[in-house]
Amino acid sequence: MKKIFNSIFGLFIILAFSGCDDKLDIEPRQSISVSTAISTGENVKNILIGVYNETGQSASYGGYFQLLSDLYGFTTEATWGGTFQAPRQVFNKEIFIDNGFVRDLWLNAYEAINQANLVLDYSDLVEEEDRDRVMGEAYFLRALNYFDLNRLYSNGDMGVPLTLTGIIDYSQNLEIPRASTSEVYNQVISDLEMAYELLPEDNGFFADKYAAQGLLARVHLQLGNYAQARDAADDVIQNSGHSLTASYEAAFNNDVNSSEDVFAFQVTTQDGSNVLVTHYADQSVGGRGGDVTVNPSYLARFGEDDARGSFFYTSAQNEGTLTGKYTNQFGNISLIRLAEMYLIRAEANLREGTTVGATPLEDINKIRNRAGAEALSSVSIEDVLNERDLELMFEGFLIFDYKRTGRNVGDLPANSNKLSFPIPQRELDANSLLEQNPGYETT
Amino acid sequence: MKKKLLFVITLFLSLVSFSGFAQNKTVTGTVNDEQAIPLPGVNVIVANTSRGTQTDFDGNYSIDVAEGEVLTFTYVGYTTETVTVGAEDVINITLQEDAAQLDEVVVVGYGTQSKRTLTDNVAKLTSEDIEEVPVPSIQSTIAGKAAGVQISPTNGKVEGGVNIRIRGIASIGAGSEPLYVLDGVPLINNNESNNGSPTNPLLTLSANEIASIDILKDASAAAVYGSRGANGVVIITTKSGANRPATFSLNYSYGVSEPTNLREWLNADEYIELFTEAAINTFGEEEGVPYIEGIFDFLSNDTDWRDREVDTDWQDLALGSGHVQDATLSMSGGNEKTTYFFSGAYNDTEGIVRGNELERINGRVNVTHNFNEKFRAGMNLSFSRTDIDRIANDNAFVTPLQAIAQPAISPAYLENGDPNPNTLYPNFLLQDKHAFYNTVIRRVLGRAFGEYQILDFLKFNSDFGYDLYYQNEDSYTGRLAPFQSTNGEAYASSVNTESYVTSNYFTFSKNFNEIHDLEMVAGMEYNEFNRRFQDVSGIQFPTDDFQTIDSAAEITGGSGSESANSFLSYFARVTYNLYDKYLFKASIRRDGSSRFGEDVRYGTFPAISAGWILSEEEFLSNSEVISFLKLRASYGEAGNANIGDFAALGLFGGISYNQRPGIAPIQAANPLLTWESVKQTDIGLEYGFLDNRISGEIDYYIKESDGLIFQQPLPGTSGQPSITRNIGVLENKGIEFVVNTKNIQTDHFTWNTNFNISKNDNEVKELPNGEDVINGQTILREGEPLSAFYLREYAGVDPENGDALYFVNAEDGDPNETTNDPNAANRVILGQPYAEWIAGLTNTVYYKGIDLGFTFVGEWGASIYNGGGIYQSANADFFDNQSADQLDRWQEPGDITNVPQARLFGGNGTATSSRYLQESDFIRLRNLTLGYTLPEDFTDQIGLEKFRVYFTGINLLTITDYDGYDPESTSDAGQGVGVTFYSAPAVRTMSLGFNINF
Repeated sequence: MKKIFNSIFGLFIILAFSGCDDKLDIEPRQSISVSTAISTGENVKNILIGVYNETGQSASYGGYFQLLSDLYGFTTEATWGGTFQAPRQVFNKEIFIDNGFVRDLWLNAYEAINQANLVLDYSDLVEEEDRDRVMGEAYFLRALNYFDLNRLYSNGDMGVPLTLTGIIDYSQNLEIPRASTSEVYNQVISDLEMAYELLPEDNGFFADKYAAQGLLARVHLQLGNYAQARDAADDVIQNSGHSLTASYEAAFNNDVNSSEDVFAFQVTTQDGSNVLVTHYADQSVGGRGGDVTVNPSYLARFGEDDARGSFFYTSAQNEGTLTGKYTNQFGNISLIRLAEMYLIRAEANLREGTTVGATPLEDINKIRNRAGAEALSSVSIEDVLNERDLELMFEGFLIFDYKRTGRNVGDLPANSNKLSFPIPQRELDANSLLEQNPGYETT
Repeated sequence: MKKKLLFVITLFLSLVSFSGFAQNKTVTGTVNDEQAIPLPGVNVIVANTSRGTQTDFDGNYSIDVAEGEVLTFTYVGYTTETVTVGAEDVINITLQEDAAQLDEVVVVGYGTQSKRTLTDNVAKLTSEDIEEVPVPSIQSTIAGKAAGVQISPTNGKVEGGVNIRIRGIASIGAGSEPLYVLDGVPLINNNESNNGSPTNPLLTLSANEIASIDILKDASAAAVYGSRGANGVVIITTKSGANRPATFSLNYSYGVSEPTNLREWLNADEYIELFTEAAINTFGEEEGVPYIEGIFDFLSNDTDWRDREVDTDWQDLALGSGHVQDATLSMSGGNEKTTYFFSGAYNDTEGIVRGNELERINGRVNVTHNFNEKFRAGMNLSFSRTDIDRIANDNAFVTPLQAIAQPAISPAYLENGDPNPNTLYPNFLLQDKHAFYNTVIRRVLGRAFGEYQILDFLKFNSDFGYDLYYQNEDSYTGRLAPFQSTNGEAYASSVNTESYVTSNYFTFSKNFNEIHDLEMVAGMEYNEFNRRFQDVSGIQFPTDDFQTIDSAAEITGGSGSESANSFLSYFARVTYNLYDKYLFKASIRRDGSSRFGEDVRYGTFPAISAGWILSEEEFLSNSEVISFLKLRASYGEAGNANIGDFAALGLFGGISYNQRPGIAPIQAANPLLTWESVKQTDIGLEYGFLDNRISGEIDYYIKESDGLIFQQPLPGTSGQPSITRNIGVLENKGIEFVVNTKNIQTDHFTWNTNFNISKNDNEVKELPNGEDVINGQTILREGEPLSAFYLREYAGVDPENGDALYFVNAEDGDPNETTNDPNAANRVILGQPYAEWIAGLTNTVYYKGIDLGFTFVGEWGASIYNGGGIYQSANADFFDNQSADQLDRWQEPGDITNVPQARLFGGNGTATSSRYLQESDFIRLRNLTLGYTLPEDFTDQIGLEKFRVYFTGINLLTITDYDGYDPESTSDAGQGVGVTFYSAPAVRTMSLGFNINF
């Protein structure tokens, strides 16, 4: 008996004090290290998919970018009646510097930009046959994020910070100052031109060269480079192979891209997000009951037979009028519709006094015909701008159209400090080199 | 190093010589106190020899003696007994308490120690302190009973988390929860909830099976737990049997609960008045009145609001009365070889928030067997099943208490009795009726242990412990629930986490010449933790009768993940007492953990302490007044390894875009990440006066946390919002004062009082480059308390125009300058979320079979920020129903008030500011128990050992100036420390119960 105990006891001692150092080496099982992530071409391509995912998240193009851009412009068109305070501040044009949506849009955009930068930094690892495409898509996505950041957060010549190298070493000094507004826009243009060069004609639901060209048209229009805007839009219309959907309604709430989608963010039941439905829609289709209700004065702007004027429904929750553009919570989010290209070409031709591709009147009536609206007999800049309001409302264009054309937003002049977002408080707290926009400084 | 340790131990063993015995038989027995509670650590010595032993944890001993020899049983705090050995083999002893002495046994980790000779600060609670308190969570029973230990329930939900802070908060990012060790097994204490609000993992324990709770407060005591001891250690010991015939004990109680407090909201009349005014102020009379009347038409859902047809009390619908039912049956007993304890318990708690319920079943068996005089082994095994009906987190529209945002003019139900779907916010009654979220936790917790007495003075212990925490969550949201648009939605999750630990250690314990008392402990421990999680969600159900994933036509998501961590540790401790009055102790632990980077993987945690029992010295030993006086001091280091499993690594995780796989960065690397280290110095004085009628202790401590683990915000432009860093130094220092008095002690009447109070000062000492770290409404700033509130300072209302004003607080500006533009106001530090002073007062009175015990707790110095204030108390900024105090709004020039002019959509005063911050000092009657035990001669007649009936209650009385729901109610939705957000008030419960022993 005693012997047994002694041997058990001896065994214990051996077990107890023998080394089990290797027991401390435990690797994560559903993530990989940064060094693995940037070591193969396959992973660089995986990171690129990640950039689409990041860019399409709620805080950015999953809907808050578009929602905030329209709320910022709404005066008579529609009303924010939702309970969230952050969008209400944007709608009121009285934004607090700790506004959560303003903060998250900034953070998300730079996360996407950093990932796009990583793809570009390590694109050498990608096999040659895919390399141009991969780089082109990364340029496109980086440009998209920078363009809209700069449109919302710049004021005068104070642009957003510009960083073009991917960061993996977070022990370095990460503070960077703001770039000038034009520096950022120039980078956007050069990225999109690179993307156009590198991307294929067709790339499935990922960005192709016409997505880059379409965005470039939008950028040039914003900057008042009408000739370039016109030519870019014309290129998309002539060569991309996209066509307007037969009906206006068919352009929205699609599970797969419509013929009109030059580029759209993909949403499925399992990934992607569409918060435009959350705030624009009734609860029966997955919304909150209609946080944004459309005002009669906007509805009155449509002609009698205009399908766009009846593309609304009544909220069962608050009895307000809601847009029909967002009634599929798993529907894709169109970023560039071909209709916008017609409107850009029309406006640019009109301003330049040219008729590249088609006359402005033809382009405008093309849009109106599709919606069943009465054709116009002549077209002025005001008509084009009005047509943009009728066609593109609730898709994130409103504030930028006001600002680029110098029109007042309610009582606020287009260059009012209140019409630039503040640099988020958390960003000023974390980065001492940043300067706040005028109108938001603490005294 | 390991080999050396082994060598030393072996050498030591061989050096110690065996002493010869002249015994011829073995006597065994159990030593109990007068209440039949076994006494561990009693010295059993054969008079006039050097032979002796100690009783084990269950009070059992075994010793070789010859007939005619005399055994003496000595135990500090008790009178000494002597027995002459006769023919019998079993000698059971009952020791009488010696009022002149002061002692109890405390559990210190890998052993026990006498409180009298202890050089650390350990607070001990026994089953008497925690039984019968009608709360489901074990932590809540401790409140007010140990100095410097703050128990903060999150809010009034039954499964809600409980924060325990021992001597302040020593960490920001690595968790401030102490390590819980139950019967030697470090407990899994991870929140595994997936609905956004935490569940308390220790809910699975039943207070009725616990014999004692020892709280190791200073680093000297906790250092033996090394890298996990920084927040203190709570050692829970379960009940065990004793050498006596089986006794049964039955306890049953039933009680009702209600909220501790309700708030005043506008009724229909007041709502219409205030909002009409607000609309006029914003849009003018002409536009405003028709506008707001349209809104009233909508809100009232076609009832006649002009006639005040509907006046709904939404608060009353969300908060109601609940009940608590608790039943336990236990059996314990044994003989000289084997002791056992069996228990079963049932708890059924219906919360005060509608739809919130808990049902728990516990079972436990603890058995110990002495195979021979050298070897004993045993097993503790328990299982529990906890079934919780949960409600949404505080930040969800469908959580019941958000109903207080609904205007009183909105009907709760339609005429046909169904919940009204046309409300301002989703009607939670629809959620209550058409959706559920159920959690079931199954837990198995056990320990197998063996103890081998190699020599009289040397024993070896080997323990293997296992903890399995297995949780399922099931949720279904039916078609008619708010926000439901996919023909039903189901979610199911399953997580199993297991922890196993093996510890092996030697204990050498010997008294030399009654002068030197030496104990040495050395051993190792290996602990591994594995976690596996899966979940799946689906939509599109044929009808609402189908509620499991199987019937989902479309699966929309799923995940499966695994994680693990491990700790490998070596530890040693030496205790040396000279003349029973000069006390020394030193311990060391070396820990390695998989959680830290390769280069910083191991750490060493030493501690040293000393004490001097002055009352044993000649100059005091004859004092009439001073019966006990001990001075002690300790210093120790412990760590806090409570961060994520792979927090040091830079990681990419999988994502998908349009169902194509991809990867994205999820964590910034910090290869230097290591544990936080906490260095604590403690100086204490323990005293007893007048035969210990008055006794207690006074402690002063300084606790410095170095290398605080924190999510430091990064510039967003870097692509990562934050990084986990060891970034600073934090100091907690404070005093603790405990006094116990025996006010009355007669045969039929005793009255004891315990009072404890502690003050903790918390200060951030060092941050990288001295820069502030701002996180939401709180700030880390050198020289300021941890997570101090950093807000705009509300300056009241401009009497001229009703504008809300804020102090500008410019650095060199006029301190009285105000502005109505919140963006122009600088933020300043305006309070802290952690209490500075906490106190507890407990009285126990026995009078001829009547027992009365009550505990008051008090906390001072903390503030609470009401995150819901910008909606609830916003002078009719939006249609949310307003707190009744908003009726004091500014109305005309000259009005002096703190509530700005009501302006619908006006944002007048709704910026985050100190308007919504308030001090939350309170005193409350935490627990009161009044019982009556039937006279023995009566219970004897009906064949019972004991029959007692009692009344018990918690939170029966609260004294506070705080205007919110409750000073102990904060958000469970992760909205920051010290923030409340539609959070349920605490629970007041009154129960009746009885105990029967037979």
